[in-house]
Amino acid sequence: MSEEPQSPTPSAAAPEIRRAQRWNIVWVVPLVALLLGGWLLYRSFAAQGPEVRVGFDTADGILAGKTEVRCRSVKVGVVKDVKLADDLNSVVTHLEFDPDAEGLLREGTRFWVVKPRLSATEFSGVGTLITGAYIELDPGPEGGKKVTDFEGLETPPATNSGVPGLRLLLTAEEAGSLTIGAPVYYRGFEVGRIEGRELDQKGLKVIYNAFVREEYSALVTQNTRFWNTSGIDISAGADGFKVRTPSFQAMVSGGVSFGVTDGDEPGEPARNGSAFTLFHDEDAAQRSTFNPTLKFLLLFDQTVRGLDEKAPVEFRGITIGRVADISFDLAPGVRDTRIPVLIEIDPALMRPETAREMTTLDSVFLKEAVDKGLRASLKTGSLITGALYVDLDYYEDAMPALLGKAGEFTTVPTISKGFAQLEAKIDAIVDKIQALPIDKIMADVAIAAEEAKMTIAESRATLKEIEAAAATVRKTMEDPEFQELPAALRKSIAEMEKTVASIGPDGAMQSDTLRTLDELRASLRSLKAVTTTIDEKPNSILFGRESSGNPTPRAPRGGR
Amino acid sequence: MKTGYPKAADNGLAGCHTCGRVAPISMGSCPRCGSALHLRKARSVQNTIALMVAAIALYIPSHLLPIMTVVELGDVTHNTIIGGMMRFWDTGAYPIAIVIFAASILIPLLKIVALSWLCAAASGRVHPSPTMLGRIYWFTELLGRWSMVDIFVVGILVSLVQLGNYMTITPGPGALAFAGVVMLTMFAAMSFEPRLLWDRLDELPADPSPNTTKPRS
Repeated sequence: MSEEPQSPTPSAAAPEIRRAQRWNIVWVVPLVALLLGGWLLYRSFAAQGPEVRVGFDTADGILAGKTEVRCRSVKVGVVKDVKLADDLNSVVTHLEFDPDAEGLLREGTRFWVVKPRLSATEFSGVGTLITGAYIELDPGPEGGKKVTDFEGLETPPATNSGVPGLRLLLTAEEAGSLTIGAPVYYRGFEVGRIEGRELDQKGLKVIYNAFVREEYSALVTQNTRFWNTSGIDISAGADGFKVRTPSFQAMVSGGVSFGVTDGDEPGEPARNGSAFTLFHDEDAAQRSTFNPTLKFLLLFDQTVRGLDEKAPVEFRGITIGRVADISFDLAPGVRDTRIPVLIEIDPALMRPETAREMTTLDSVFLKEAVDKGLRASLKTGSLITGALYVDLDYYEDAMPALLGKAGEFTTVPTISKGFAQLEAKIDAIVDKIQALPIDKIMADVAIAAEEAKMTIAESRATLKEIEAAAATVRKTMEDPEFQELPAALRKSIAEMEKTVASIGPDGAMQSDTLRTLDELRASLRSLKAVTTTIDEKPNSILFGRESSGNPTPRAPRGGR
Repeated sequence: MKTGYPKAADNGLAGCHTCGRVAPISMGSCPRCGSALHLRKARSVQNTIALMVAAIALYIPSHLLPIMTVVELGDVTHNTIIGGMMRFWDTGAYPIAIVIFAASILIPLLKIVALSWLCAAASGRVHPSPTMLGRIYWFTELLGRWSMVDIFVVGILVSLVQLGNYMTITPGPGALAFAGVVMLTMFAAMSFEPRLLWDRLDELPADPSPNTTKPRS
């Protein structure tokens, strides 16, 4: 812009005049600066990935700038900011992702906070005790739309949505102890998990989301029944006690088992999202196949205490139905004091031909049966619980009876067989007790007692004799002659002492004996000398002794 | 034409840039040191403007990007100049916050503004009073270098705090940009030729404008 003022100079020397260059090299500097600044900014912003908002109930354990976002434990982002939601009932976290994690943020992506969780079924996230909580991300199904707002889960999902398998809905009457994460068993083998549960407020049912792993999904078919195996199941019924214990985990957290009931066709494999009923227990699941189409009324002229609804109806021990209702409402007449019991029978549990006859020509078939003695009776299934069941059987000796009609139901004649049997048994026991020969036993006992009495009398006489003997002894002791005996004894002892003294060292006998002994000793000594001489020189007897010189000492014999 | 003081340039004399000897411009080069003689710095205003544009180009990223990255126990914090200043302000360290604000944000900005003003005056766009021009020039020369305080602090911290995993401080891209800003403004101030202002001062009476006619201080 500004030219050098080439002022008119008086000097003669021609100044070197250079033309101002059009393009000044100094403009490279701002160009470089711009490029550098732009590159720095670009690099910084390119390093920033997408940012999403995730809502949580609480920000427990989440720290802005520190808490990481991970997908399968790989860090993909960080919590940038945590703020209270506008309604103050939740928090909104801003998550900043790495640029390459953009594909993870699609519809269906789930977020939850991984922190230490300790419960009966779960012992997880312990590592976060040291590292701090982090947010785990489970990417949604592939090809989902890009979303920037998410709602975080409060509890970790039991399985990743990406895990292939069968996802089912189970509806139950009540939640029981079944919790999220509870195992799903097939014949005691864990094949899946409960992923979630919610209360259907309209239907007033609990809906569970069950997940069955892909390799086992073929086991679930249309006719599969699901039942709860939570806790220890102890039931007392006409069949006695039943105790069922599942695995320890299922005992604590609950569990679901499934299977096809006996004799049922499995049907088509279930599809994803199919709904099933979750039965309270295995019995309920089994009974769910029970399809009673025949109903009969039984009128019992006895107490039905112990008979429950759903108590089994058996024909000679085979269950063919159950008690449907016990109520006076079913009574045929007002004056009738008999207890009406409504039973329902599933013809499918009987022989097909019998079932057909029962259903089509019931009156004829039943009439014949009743004529032959078919009666219903109450029998005690368990003496401990006192539970009763209805037994159908033929009784040859039954009083003749006919099929009746009470309201809409056919009545089958009854017989008080169960209790009568019991009474008869008790009677038999009482009879046996009565038949025992108690009088004879008592007589024998009396004889024995008499004999004992005689023995006692005899022993008393013996005692008297012993007493007499004792008295005689006492008399002898008291005799004065017997009393003097000690004095005489003492005198004899004194005399004996005197005799002994004469034998003693000062006695005459002693000195005589000593003298005799001395003489004997001298004789023996001379005899010894003689024998020695003979021993050394045997011929001395003939030639006498050579000398009386000292014996020459000799070296001892032997080389010892 | 001549209203003010006599100028060496009017007499064909130029001061050597290197040794300061005054010699007639006709000599071409300094008789003492041999440097080329110029009456005024060549393309001074253009150079200054170019350098200032470069400074502005770097000024924006220098404040947007982290100047310093602190890794404390695996905890990474990126610190920008403004963020650091605000943190000091929040923790109650107002003097430090004010110093940072003045040295890092205000002074470079004021320097750019002041130099722009001087350039405008040198090229005859505006005609401020010479006193004011003098003060502005003095200001750019005197205070400009204090902006380097930030870079100084970062340099010291980076070299001192290298404690491995416990705490490590590394310079961020913002530090590079900011150092560029400070150096470019300094170069811009250096490349500015204040004598151009005198030359303009001489032109003032040529078109008398009553607002700014204050020839002498």
